[in-house]
Amino acid sequence: MHREEILRMFPERMRGRWQETADLCGNLQEIRLRVGRPVTVITVSGERFVDIEGRIVDRQEAGARITEREIEEIIQHLCQYSLYAFADEIRQGFLTIQGGHRVGMAGQVILEDTGRVRNIKYIRYLNIRIAHQIKGAADSILPFLYEKDRLCNTLLISPPGCGKTTMLRDMIRQISDGSMYGQGMNVGVVDERSEIAGSYMGVPQNDVGSRTDVLDGCPKVEGMMMLVRSMAPQVIAVDELGSDKDMEALQMASGCGCKLIVTIHGSSLSEIQNKKYMRYVIKEGLFERYVILKRVNGNCVVEGVYDREGKPCIR
Amino acid sequence: MYKIMGCFCILAGCMGLGRLKVGQERERILHLRELIRMIHRMQDEISYGKHTLPEICLILADNVDSWYAPYFIEIHRQMLQGDGTGLKEVWEKQMTACLENLPLQEEEKDIIRQLPACLGLQEEKRQALGFEQAAILLSGKCQKAEEAYENRSKMIHSVSILAGLLLSILLL
Repeated sequence: MHREEILRMFPERMRGRWQETADLCGNLQEIRLRVGRPVTVITVSGERFVDIEGRIVDRQEAGARITEREIEEIIQHLCQYSLYAFADEIRQGFLTIQGGHRVGMAGQVILEDTGRVRNIKYIRYLNIRIAHQIKGAADSILPFLYEKDRLCNTLLISPPGCGKTTMLRDMIRQISDGSMYGQGMNVGVVDERSEIAGSYMGVPQNDVGSRTDVLDGCPKVEGMMMLVRSMAPQVIAVDELGSDKDMEALQMASGCGCKLIVTIHGSSLSEIQNKKYMRYVIKEGLFERYVILKRVNGNCVVEGVYDREGKPCIR
Repeated sequence: MYKIMGCFCILAGCMGLGRLKVGQERERILHLRELIRMIHRMQDEISYGKHTLPEICLILADNVDSWYAPYFIEIHRQMLQGDGTGLKEVWEKQMTACLENLPLQEEEKDIIRQLPACLGLQEEKRQALGFEQAAILLSGKCQKAEEAYENRSKMIHSVSILAGLLLSILLL
């Protein structure tokens, strides 16, 4: 990722203040903007602040306070002055911008009569999560994902901010292109939040492999079914499972002969087993591999790869 | 003989001037129609295609009169290049250049230049309706211009001939 990508997120008149932040691009994980609060940047080495001159400082009180007007300007700029085009995403509390970076939003929620979220107004909090494509991120786990040249259904378990999506993206790329462990396969990606491929105008901004089809911005359940029906994928990849319906769709896709590469929030296998919607599929042995990520001294590492019985895989 | 030739030249010049004026009026109507069509296309692309404004500019470039196309391509290019300049500024600059030499009234040019002022709504149908005001204003102007065109063209032709005759008589 280049520093220009960071600068491009801000309107021209603000860019001067973001030069030093942009210099951090490789280490930058998040930019947090809260109205009336210090501008915070989260880097690999921890939380820091941006002062009024744009310098990165350690003291919170030295951080520049961002105004409502500035946040609104940034949102308009990020949406290319076309808020309506991002209404569905804003309704879900985020939008994906060029480069696959995700901007989380919070403000006052407006509900419909049915109780559904209709809109968010007075957006006063932004969390710009910087997408990092690290080619080779999945190198260490790839040998364990194949058994007798056959890809295993894999569940990637990770706490937030540990590089789950980065890992998934690289797994997709390598499975799609093929590696020394297996031939290239047709991969169907349901990219509900446009985080995996980071599609912009339908074109993936990240390398997700040459045999990958991306269904961008589509809900997981519908997306998996659409892909199975229309694109005949050998592998289906989805990010962040979170409901019974997701599980049903996964089982259906698996029943259609597709291999599964999916991720879920969590920190251990036992934690996942305790999730109500996961119990059945784990008991049934839907997943043949569990990859667990964790953070050690600020670095994201693979804690282990386990088979369907929960035994560590060694090759 | 020379005098008669001179009278003919004056008459032809005046008639030519009249035709030019009528032509300008006709051109104005054609441009107004094109601009109205353009706004309607923008509304469709917003409400059905959910395209962003820079994307719409690219679509328009392929679908509007060739005079406008390079300006829309330039807006799209500048927005995509991402130097941070706002759409309003880029649009206004390009549209000012685009409309500068067109036979439109200042008020009509302003309507187009200020189109992005209607932006900022989150619901696509409402956003599309935001452009309706501009379309209505231009439609009104176009209708008036069309109604006046027939009579005005006849009048301009008559006046130009009369002016030519008058000049000839005076010079004789």
